[in-house]
Amino acid sequence: MSLAREIADARPRVISALAVQLRDFDLVEDAFADAAEKLIEGGDVPDRLTSWLFVVAKRKALDAMRGRAAQDRALQKSAPVEEMADILTLPEPIADERLRLIFICCHPAIALEARTALALKVICGLPVGVIARLFVTSEATMYQRITRAKAKVRDAGIAFELPERKAWGERLEAVLLTLELAYTAAYQDAAGELDPELSGEVARLAAMVAELLPEEPEALGLAALVWLARSREAARVDADGAMVPLSQQDVCKWDFAAIEQARLWLEGAAKFGASGPYQVMAAIQLTHARRAYDGKTDWGAVLALYDVLMGMRPAPMVGLNRAVALEKVEGAKAGLEALDAIEGSRIRSSRPYRVARAQMYSGLGQWDAARCELEQALDQDVPRAERLFLKRKLKELRQNHRPTS
Amino acid sequence: MQYMLLINEDESIYEGDDGAKLMEETLAGHMALAQAWAEKGVAFSGERLKPGSTATTIKWNAGSHTLHDGPFAETHEELGGFYIIDVPSLDEALEWAKQIPVPGKGAVEVRPIWPMEG
Repeated sequence: MSLAREIADARPRVISALAVQLRDFDLVEDAFADAAEKLIEGGDVPDRLTSWLFVVAKRKALDAMRGRAAQDRALQKSAPVEEMADILTLPEPIADERLRLIFICCHPAIALEARTALALKVICGLPVGVIARLFVTSEATMYQRITRAKAKVRDAGIAFELPERKAWGERLEAVLLTLELAYTAAYQDAAGELDPELSGEVARLAAMVAELLPEEPEALGLAALVWLARSREAARVDADGAMVPLSQQDVCKWDFAAIEQARLWLEGAAKFGASGPYQVMAAIQLTHARRAYDGKTDWGAVLALYDVLMGMRPAPMVGLNRAVALEKVEGAKAGLEALDAIEGSRIRSSRPYRVARAQMYSGLGQWDAARCELEQALDQDVPRAERLFLKRKLKELRQNHRPTS
Repeated sequence: MQYMLLINEDESIYEGDDGAKLMEETLAGHMALAQAWAEKGVAFSGERLKPGSTATTIKWNAGSHTLHDGPFAETHEELGGFYIIDVPSLDEALEWAKQIPVPGKGAVEVRPIWPMEG
């Protein structure tokens, strides 16, 4: 593993631990960058890299704070750092610094659209560009949002202690969104720019939230969703590194312990009789998982669940997945019509939309149109595994159905 | 850290038939809050303001000014009073701010105070 990779892996843990002590995300991120630079310049790699980075970054942060305090005498009134460190020794209701910090970033005094972004940046270590893509916004806008949120945390004196348990509920929506998006980013990380352990880490945190808040059905739903996605990680890429679509995956490679755990969570959630998007999304994935037991996929059930999800989260991407399910139930013509009904230029020019159209055209025997959609999809920035898969499809189309013109 | 709690409320609610009674209840709420702060050892100060109709506003624009009869913001909710409290975090300031009685429509804005030099 390269040194840069090791530093990137250590980052979230070190940043979390320092932020709890020093309460200033900018200061802590700068100090970490200084420590990392020193490590790279120094050449010698310490045995315990994470601890080394923590100690050096903390010293740098304290130096920076003292420098600032000398300029700004008012800061001398704030609590000495030694006292803050004592906070760490108190027994914590959430025994995980990263998860605590996510709950703290999801403070209701921070603008709703910035809470999750802040957590993804500082705690999960996602680059701003990746976060901007997840929120379908520009990098500049996202950068500004995160900067403003950090300033609010520092200047408004937001507490770094967890609130009482009864107040966790108002933070839960943003916490769950953070975990969902972090998992999505890890799953789509074909470029390998993120921490390779991120998806496992998110799965662990999602399970932890489900255990902490077993009376919150959506927390159980999210944990089930993440674990179902994770249950297929060994099956989603073939020996050549090409993507294997869900319907063609070898079910023997699925992780059945993870599927069973997800099923238990969903069962627990159902007892509350309060459905929500995460539960429905997990139910869709569980329906797909049933192929391992039933030998086939109940597309009617999948479609019905997408109809419910559309009522809760009427996003273009949900509409697209619903259209794909509709094709399996009513045929390619109905699927294509459903795709045509989706509005929005961003989704209509997106890769998943073009791939879905290619699928529908193939179903209708319109090979030229199918080929054209695939070619346009491949013109875009496609993750490697999916690129290999799409190229293979395109090759088959070209060989089996020569162009008519 | 010091926080200012700015109480904006609909003054007209105290003008109706129940107005006097409502005002009495609101004042009692403020008294209770002051007592709670005293008991918990929270340093605080605060004032109640006369109605917005008594306000005079100096409006500035690029170096010149005009006088305006009435409050700065043309809204139904007027600044009716404020507190300054000294608590460790925004979270605690918010917990206290939620206990300020606002019987009708209104808003309580919580702002950290810029620390004085020296």
